[in-house]
Amino acid sequence: MQTLKINGIQHQLDVENEMPLLWVLRDELGLTGTKFGCGIGQCGACTVQVNGQVVRSCSFPVIAAVGADIKTIEGLSSDGSHPVQQAWLEEQVPQCGYCQSGQIMAVDGLLKDIPKPSDEEIEQKITNLCRCGTYVRIRRGIRRSAELIQEKGN
Amino acid sequence: MEKFKIKRRTFLKSSTLAGTGFAIGIAFEPLKSFAAKSETSVTATKGADLGLWIRISSDGTITLIAPSSEMGQGVNTALSMIIAEEMEADWQSIKTETTPANSDYKNPEQPLQITGASSSIKGFWEPLREVGAAAREMLKTSAAQIWEVPASQCNAHSGKIIHQKSGREFSFGELAEAAGKLDIPSDPPLKSPVDYKLVGRSIPRLDLPDKVTGSAKFGIDVRISGMLFATVRQSPIFEGEVLSYDETAAKEVRGVKAVVRVPNGIAVVADNTWRAKKGMEALNPKFHGGKTAGEPSNAGLDSLQVRQQLRSALDVEGKTEIDSKHSAAGLPFLDLEYEVPFLAHATLEPMNCTAHVQNDFCEIWVPTQNQEKSLDVVKEITDLDNDQIRINTTLLGGGFGRRLETDFVTQAVTISKLLQKPVQVIWMREEDMQHDYYRPASMSRFQISLGPDGFPQNWKNQLAGPSILKRYFAPLGWLGFDPTSTEGAEELPYSIPDFDFDYSLVDPGVPVGFWRSVGSSHNAFYTESALDEAAHAANQDPYEYRRKLLINEPRFRKVLEKVAEDANWERSLPDGHGLGIALHKSFGSIVGTVLEISTNSSGLLKLHKAWITIDCGKVVNPDTVRAQMEGGFIFGLSAALGEEISLKDGQVEQSNFHDYAILRMQGVPDIYVSIIENQALDDDEIGGVGEPAVPLAAPVLANAIFAVTGKRYRYLPLSKHAIKLG
Repeated sequence: MQTLKINGIQHQLDVENEMPLLWVLRDELGLTGTKFGCGIGQCGACTVQVNGQVVRSCSFPVIAAVGADIKTIEGLSSDGSHPVQQAWLEEQVPQCGYCQSGQIMAVDGLLKDIPKPSDEEIEQKITNLCRCGTYVRIRRGIRRSAELIQEKGN
Repeated sequence: MEKFKIKRRTFLKSSTLAGTGFAIGIAFEPLKSFAAKSETSVTATKGADLGLWIRISSDGTITLIAPSSEMGQGVNTALSMIIAEEMEADWQSIKTETTPANSDYKNPEQPLQITGASSSIKGFWEPLREVGAAAREMLKTSAAQIWEVPASQCNAHSGKIIHQKSGREFSFGELAEAAGKLDIPSDPPLKSPVDYKLVGRSIPRLDLPDKVTGSAKFGIDVRISGMLFATVRQSPIFEGEVLSYDETAAKEVRGVKAVVRVPNGIAVVADNTWRAKKGMEALNPKFHGGKTAGEPSNAGLDSLQVRQQLRSALDVEGKTEIDSKHSAAGLPFLDLEYEVPFLAHATLEPMNCTAHVQNDFCEIWVPTQNQEKSLDVVKEITDLDNDQIRINTTLLGGGFGRRLETDFVTQAVTISKLLQKPVQVIWMREEDMQHDYYRPASMSRFQISLGPDGFPQNWKNQLAGPSILKRYFAPLGWLGFDPTSTEGAEELPYSIPDFDFDYSLVDPGVPVGFWRSVGSSHNAFYTESALDEAAHAANQDPYEYRRKLLINEPRFRKVLEKVAEDANWERSLPDGHGLGIALHKSFGSIVGTVLEISTNSSGLLKLHKAWITIDCGKVVNPDTVRAQMEGGFIFGLSAALGEEISLKDGQVEQSNFHDYAILRMQGVPDIYVSIIENQALDDDEIGGVGEPAVPLAAPVLANAIFAVTGKRYRYLPLSKHAIKLG
């Protein structure tokens, strides 16, 4: 038995310890906002936060998440009001949208660590794949997110 | 263009969602020859809302059926804008749903009910305006009848019908039931473009709020009570057969329920995707034979053999005589050979389909660009009729042409039929990478002679490569031509006195398919690079050279001039910087681009900024056009820089994103887009936007690299030449 705290809610599970967190979220708990893209931590579609750290859940065994605070896209805000989500809408970032849960979770994590990232920091830290090629807008979205977070903080 | 006839099919029904609402159903008849078929399918169909375009519920919510698959191109929003514009609906009340499988929704531009070839706006522009206008007229008429006033005194405005004289008004929701009882007008008046409130404006996309909260439902997000999860393994050598596997070991894995043979492979079914994957590892299937397999003396198809086959095909054709003629006259002559590799679609959402086959009904949920073929697949496997089948199109996590295929539908339906349970088939990335329908590898040879003025006098271009049409329409056999291979090279806008183009079919046995921008994805690289080489051989500026050659093509010339102006082509550049330029028409749209790059002391490449100008005729949503230009260009850049599917021992060498290099954010240039509106054009000259930016990336990059380094790269990807971003 494992107990997982996801988006503030405790869940009791009985799964293999090595099952990646991704599949626990998607197939056991029905939290389908987190996506499967590659299974080897390359694409970032499965990005979530564990104790505030950005992790790629396809390569993160569930046992390592026991006792931790897990945050998924569903926990960022229920109504899309989080500054990164707002910035994403303002800049009309998504196309197919499949990678965007992961992009948003990675960006939220980045901005917590570095509220005003430089261009270099953005490019080094946000390495999630977007096959539609929304990168130009993701960059704008990150800038706008940082502004919105700062406005909210003040 | 044939005039569309509007007719009433289903005019009133309870809304399936609200229970208390009502619907106006209007179906148009896209092509007369299909009328009989669609009539039958609609009347016989169990899903009662088929054939409807517009549903108005009593709370005023208006649901528009978008006849195209939403795969990121913003089509649901754009098509809804067209209906809502004519209808005078309140945009805030609009919801959109993706089409069911039904030939009534077939794009008049396409032979099947598919979403492809950047043709949704072109195909649906006129019919959807008529649908919206007819609904508006019916709402007006119903209000006029209730008020007992002439309809001419009533106006539609923002979701209401207003009687000007008395100031009375009804909302569309209040009128839906009465309006639904009226006959559909045969020739409703269409709005003048000057009165447009939505079309032509950058309206935020309807699908994006759900895409930032994780609540948008893609194919792999479908959840049905009692469903099982399956994953498949297919022969790594194309069309090989299953030889052996360890079913006992697979079934010892926790959660594994079944092992099922599917066409061209084998599936493990479990109560969870990861357990199905573990089960597959334990099953450890082996395969033998196949189309590209080796023999004792030969290891199987590899990339070198493909290359030799392509070159042989060009050599059989032989070189022309212009060579000796022109060297004798002392005029410049170019003899060039270009080449591109196979490419994978690599949609970020891997191939998947959820199927629930029961005795007398089958429902599938699938991210597909091809509802019609999906329906055919279900019919073939289940022997059910149209009215016993429901095809639900989910959102697509990328399409790019891969989801015109239905191999994954076949698998899901086969498994569900056997188990009589809902089953979701998800491919692991490795399967997705190794069992794609690849963009064809090809080779292109040019012999170009320049006249005394430096412009091409003779242009002889030979292309060799596999044919997508031959594979896709296999039952028809080789038709002797293939526009999907030759588009973008067989006709150029430039004035060249002696122009000749030939295509030679080569079939190495690798399955090929429609890859975003299809033939233009390679032909623009070939022709725009070759033309650039001609300009430099003539010691002329590549922009001016093109401009002068566009003497008879004012539309092309305008696009070229605009992009050069945006990029300030004439300006002096910092040391180490250079500009490339390219121009290409595909899917009815002309796109011009300039790219500024530089190289640093260690030879690393930096892409500074791209300028893109498009003339796509009419523009429905400018921001969507810009987004598609940005995304398409980056999609093309990714391929040009680092993507390659190579073969060894009869199989694909790449397996995941660690060895199939898709561009990440690092190194992506800023992109500036200009849109040239061309409202005067006829409706049938409307161009697409989903694909036309893709072909420009490779040539503009290669031309820019030449401008900076003096080196000409004639085969892709550039990573093969040790070109790296830094």
